[in-house]
Amino acid sequence: MTQRYLILEDGSAYPGKAFGSLATTTGELVANSTMNGYQEIISNQIYHNQIIVFTQTSIGNTGLAQNAYESVLPTAKGVIVREYENLATDHFKRISLDRYLKQHRIPGIYDVDTRQIRRHLQEKGNMKASIVDVADEHAFDQLHATVLTNQQVAQVATPKPYPNPDEGANVIVVDFGLKSGILRELSKRDCNVTVVPWDSTSETILDLDPDGVVLSTGPGAPWNLPESVLSMIQKVQTQVPLFGIGLGHELFALANGAKITELRVEHHGSNHPIREIITNEIFFSGQEQGYAVDSKSINHAKLFITHVDLVNGTVQGLRHRDFPAFSVQFSPDGAPGPKDSVGLFDDFSEFMARRRDSNGENY
Amino acid sequence: MGKIILDKMAMQRALTRITYEIVEKNKGVEDLVLIGIKTRGIFLANRIADRLQQLENVTIPVGELDITNYRDDIEHDSVSDDVKMSSNKIDFSVEGKRVILVDDVLYTGRTVRAALSAVMDLGRPKSINLAVLVDRGHRELPIRADFVGKNIPSSQKEKIKVYVSEIDDKDAVELIK
Amino acid sequence: MAKTIKKLLLLGGGPTNIGHENELDAAAYERLQAIKKTGAQVIYIDNNPFSFASESVQAADVYVQEVTFQNVVNIIEKEHPDAIMPKIGGLNAMQVAWQLEESDVLADNNIDMLGIRPVDLKRVLDNQRLRELLNEINEPIIASKIVPNDDEAMDFVRDVGFPVIVKPFSASHDTSRFICNNTDELEDALEISFERTYIKHVSIEQSIVGYKEIEMVGVRDENGNKILVSGLEDMDPIGIHSGDSIIFAPTQTLINQEYQALRTATFQIMDAINITGTCHVQFAQSRTDSNYYVTKVSPFFTRNALLAAKATGYPLSYVSTLLEMGVSLTEVKLPQKYSKYLPFMEPTMDHVVVRLPLWPFRDIPDVDQHLNTLMKSVGSTIGVGRTVEEAIMKAMHSSQFSPRDILPSVSKVDDDAVINQLIHPLASRVLILMEALRRGFSIDELSELTKIDRFYFYKMNQLLRAQDYVINNPLSPTAVEAAHEYGFGDGMLAELWNVNISTIERMNQNSNVKVTFKEIEPSAGEFREATNVFYSSYELENESVPCKGKTALIIGRGGNQLGPNAAADYYTAQILETTRRAGYKTIIMNTNPNAISLAPALSDKQYIEPIQLGNILNIVNLEQPDIIFLPGNRHYLSKKLKEFADLNIVVLPPDQKIAKFQQGTATTAVDLFIDGDRILPITTISFHTKSRRTELRYINDYQQPMNRWQTDERPLIKMAISKIDTANWQGLVQVLFDHDGSGNYTFTGIRPIRITESAFLNKTTGVNWIDALVKKYLHVLDIDQLSSFYQPGIHQRYSIMEAVFPFKELQSNRTDGASTQEVGAALSFKKIENPIES
Repeated sequence: MTQRYLILEDGSAYPGKAFGSLATTTGELVANSTMNGYQEIISNQIYHNQIIVFTQTSIGNTGLAQNAYESVLPTAKGVIVREYENLATDHFKRISLDRYLKQHRIPGIYDVDTRQIRRHLQEKGNMKASIVDVADEHAFDQLHATVLTNQQVAQVATPKPYPNPDEGANVIVVDFGLKSGILRELSKRDCNVTVVPWDSTSETILDLDPDGVVLSTGPGAPWNLPESVLSMIQKVQTQVPLFGIGLGHELFALANGAKITELRVEHHGSNHPIREIITNEIFFSGQEQGYAVDSKSINHAKLFITHVDLVNGTVQGLRHRDFPAFSVQFSPDGAPGPKDSVGLFDDFSEFMARRRDSNGENY
Repeated sequence: MGKIILDKMAMQRALTRITYEIVEKNKGVEDLVLIGIKTRGIFLANRIADRLQQLENVTIPVGELDITNYRDDIEHDSVSDDVKMSSNKIDFSVEGKRVILVDDVLYTGRTVRAALSAVMDLGRPKSINLAVLVDRGHRELPIRADFVGKNIPSSQKEKIKVYVSEIDDKDAVELIK
Repeated sequence: MAKTIKKLLLLGGGPTNIGHENELDAAAYERLQAIKKTGAQVIYIDNNPFSFASESVQAADVYVQEVTFQNVVNIIEKEHPDAIMPKIGGLNAMQVAWQLEESDVLADNNIDMLGIRPVDLKRVLDNQRLRELLNEINEPIIASKIVPNDDEAMDFVRDVGFPVIVKPFSASHDTSRFICNNTDELEDALEISFERTYIKHVSIEQSIVGYKEIEMVGVRDENGNKILVSGLEDMDPIGIHSGDSIIFAPTQTLINQEYQALRTATFQIMDAINITGTCHVQFAQSRTDSNYYVTKVSPFFTRNALLAAKATGYPLSYVSTLLEMGVSLTEVKLPQKYSKYLPFMEPTMDHVVVRLPLWPFRDIPDVDQHLNTLMKSVGSTIGVGRTVEEAIMKAMHSSQFSPRDILPSVSKVDDDAVINQLIHPLASRVLILMEALRRGFSIDELSELTKIDRFYFYKMNQLLRAQDYVINNPLSPTAVEAAHEYGFGDGMLAELWNVNISTIERMNQNSNVKVTFKEIEPSAGEFREATNVFYSSYELENESVPCKGKTALIIGRGGNQLGPNAAADYYTAQILETTRRAGYKTIIMNTNPNAISLAPALSDKQYIEPIQLGNILNIVNLEQPDIIFLPGNRHYLSKKLKEFADLNIVVLPPDQKIAKFQQGTATTAVDLFIDGDRILPITTISFHTKSRRTELRYINDYQQPMNRWQTDERPLIKMAISKIDTANWQGLVQVLFDHDGSGNYTFTGIRPIRITESAFLNKTTGVNWIDALVKKYLHVLDIDQLSSFYQPGIHQRYSIMEAVFPFKELQSNRTDGASTQEVGAALSFKKIENPIES
């Protein structure tokens, strides 16, 4: 058992024991309080550049299931857990968490007071952290000196288009760091999907004759992406139904004149009630966000606020007043998290069906 | 034996979609009135009005229309004239309004045709649109809905039953073979 | 919209028994706090003499009666309530509510049923209708059929495949069930079953024995808003009653997709039955694919629903009450200590809770001790830790029958017996599982034999390795560290290494890793909640700040076993209440998830920790309590604690060892309260037993006042007082007599009034004697206030408390038992027709 440390930008250090890769890494430290689905979380591209602290104490219990990855190449910078179990068992032909992290050069530390870290982060706000062998001055200097890239999307999104054929609606998914849950839900609805790179133009997209376009989830701040992405959205939303999720939601908001703010503490969990304004009902969903749409900046002549987080008040959903274009901050695909709002994919399908029925004449 | 094809959640979503589409297509809610076709269309119209209230903070008038006497496929002899208009409850003028007719199921189109006649009898609206929870096909008249919750292709042998919790103890759409 | 309710009829849970401890009373207590805020008047019906909840209701509004259809009808006719709340009274209350609906009593009296609409209640309680409902909403249920002959049985099996369960179909509770894995077994089972059924029909169903049992607990409001409070995973597979299973919260071996599917199913069901408040749904989850079946829907408070609340820190009963009354989830207002978001945030856990059942077989050995689909456990303890191992270990050393802090083991069992018990599990199964690991069974073999997920064997193996390490490295600092990491208490180390616990304490002081206390709260550190419920772990940050001012630590009884446990829990709750009223900050330590003494509103701080010396000392060191109450007879613990001279320990009632007996029998008793040289008569009691035995240990039924009180009470009280030497006897004291049947009483002994009878006195005399006793030890008793209480000579009624034994539930033929075999008691009153004449 190798002793290693998680060191934080504010000078605090937490000792623990190593598992997974022994790499030394630096990233933003985020706490995730979702109870199930460590596999989905670790393999989600939105954690590019981030070190994940799990508040759920027992991680690795079920190994990694073949059908529950959210990406092919996970890019998280580290995994911090209270207790990890190196199991590779059961009917889903699983590999163990330890093996997985080693394969992908992701370091892990266990036997850490994760509750203390969670409380600390909540108090002090977002900060950088490193996983190191020795928590000395040099390590802290390195941590302070490290500048994290702001080119996360370009680093994780597909550089080339690829298809996921089926018989149904023709959906173009713009990949900003796509999670597989989105593709899974589209497949369940028989969609004929083409995934295109994040910097595809509206012409490229519309030339593929879509019934609808999905703006995917992805890592980092939306303002790190060029203006051209916003022009693409501004054009596409007038032509076909549009569905933005996570980063896609933030970009949709920017494209329609809203502003984005950075949260003091990133929120990763599925415990906040989300209120759907139109029905006044609450539901739960996986939320992984470092940024939020500034509700004061919204032009109500252009956008509806459709969902809000009842705990921190953040805007969780938007819809264009003139087009069937809508977006949500949270992850309705339930990978991981509750599937209470998975029906949003049905809404999207219905909007696409309407457009097909009317041969696009409404546009 | 009936099988649920739209559960409570799906029904709610369908009404939500319709609501957004109504605002979208009418570029707002100005001059909008809702007229529900009895019985379940009325409840659905009220739910759409509730949603518009939540969304836009406006109260959209909801009327209730009984089209029994306008139906061309029902014998009228048995219905006395007193009853004829008595169950309509439309306490607003449709003159110059954008009327949204709301019904649960669109089938042959005869109900809607009758509803159109009934509304026209009340005045001259600016426009009439049709919103239905379910479009099951088999039209006998050249009528189509502007807002459809869900297309449910069905055979004529099957029955579609819509339940609304206000009177039926549950929200659901069932296909009965 | 919240309903305006002026008068509310609450149905209680009745006497404790197998399947139901004090948890319903604890939930009712919490519920009453919530109702009080709404201003509604509560009418409460319950005949559990150990109910603490009923004491927070106006005495005139409490009906001490069994919750039966007829009793409730009578109360309704007298009280005219606007609404009835059945969800807190268990299945019995739900069934009574159903009868009220069926017979139109509710409609005729214009009474609202809260929590579930009558039409929906019928659909849940009637098994056939529930099956139809679940079918309609596409939730999978196991196939089952009633067949009249072998051919139809074979047809059924051709459809669903083996294994199947066959049982004779009849109205009575028939327990013979046959699991058939092949045609031969099926033919045999059918032959026997057809012989045993009166109406020549046999029930046959698809067997899901060996599936994982998963439980989900949620709440829902009138508008359909829902949250999932917690999932629970039974370690033992389907085939062992969930009440007899080791339970984990959160679920440990489900992947996200499986978990979310069950969550969604739970919500679907809650919507389909339009429930408000809590709902508990049980599932069988396949081990080989993602399939599941719904096995049980409980639209009311169950033991495990309340376990989910305890595990997460979610105030389930409080919130549920308001939801039932029509408040929406987002508008629920909680007591101030909670964050305002808490009611509508989904609980997320950063600790592990393990529930370990306790069985009554030490006290009732002559029954079938195999674990199957009939529940046999009478209590449980929980262990809370930051790791699975720590939580298992803490649950295990909480549940030791021995008061000593030692490692459990069953090394005397031979190999054949181990194998046999793996396949046919007996009580305390976890010990056999660990023993099998010790003997080198492979995890794969064990998982195959027991259908328990490998995960749990890995965890048990870790514990065994840690144990070996500790044993082989006596007094080494690294061994202490390892021991702490895996949940071994300091007392356990002291026993293992055969040293005094202070040696271990000194080692701790030199160690880097100190005991820390973490809060059980439902946001996993996101909010600074103040649930004030803590558990220990050896980590970096301690969250428990010592209480300010005068503090009292009350050491709870731990898991229920047979004997006076339900009464002891009531007693403990009284101590808490009195101590707090006397100006102390109260701290309770307990491990029984069903205890009323753990009700959140009853104490300032709660520690869910094993009731063991090391754990107690950890808390004492932090809190430095001014006084420590130790309710009940726990000789070992009180002896050990008294070795620490600076602790102010009060054992209540005083140790029974001081009792003086001339002989071990009695028929009659005089109860006295003694303070200094003041001796107050409380009442007289006649003892009864079903078997008319007079040995003290068989006396379980009490009547107040005594028989022949008209003539004998005054002289007997006088005689009793004459036997007392106040230098030796203080507090609640009982003087025993034998009556020879012709007016002569022989003095047979003096003893402190036992816990059960103290509770009885509280319920029957109208004076809270436990309160008086505690005040006496806190030196705040006003004896003059009490002195005018008792007037012998005129009585209007007899109060009778009869013991409840779990014999029927355990399928024993016994009818009368010893006081150590009680599981609860029932209280009733009988009017005395001519109080003046005899």
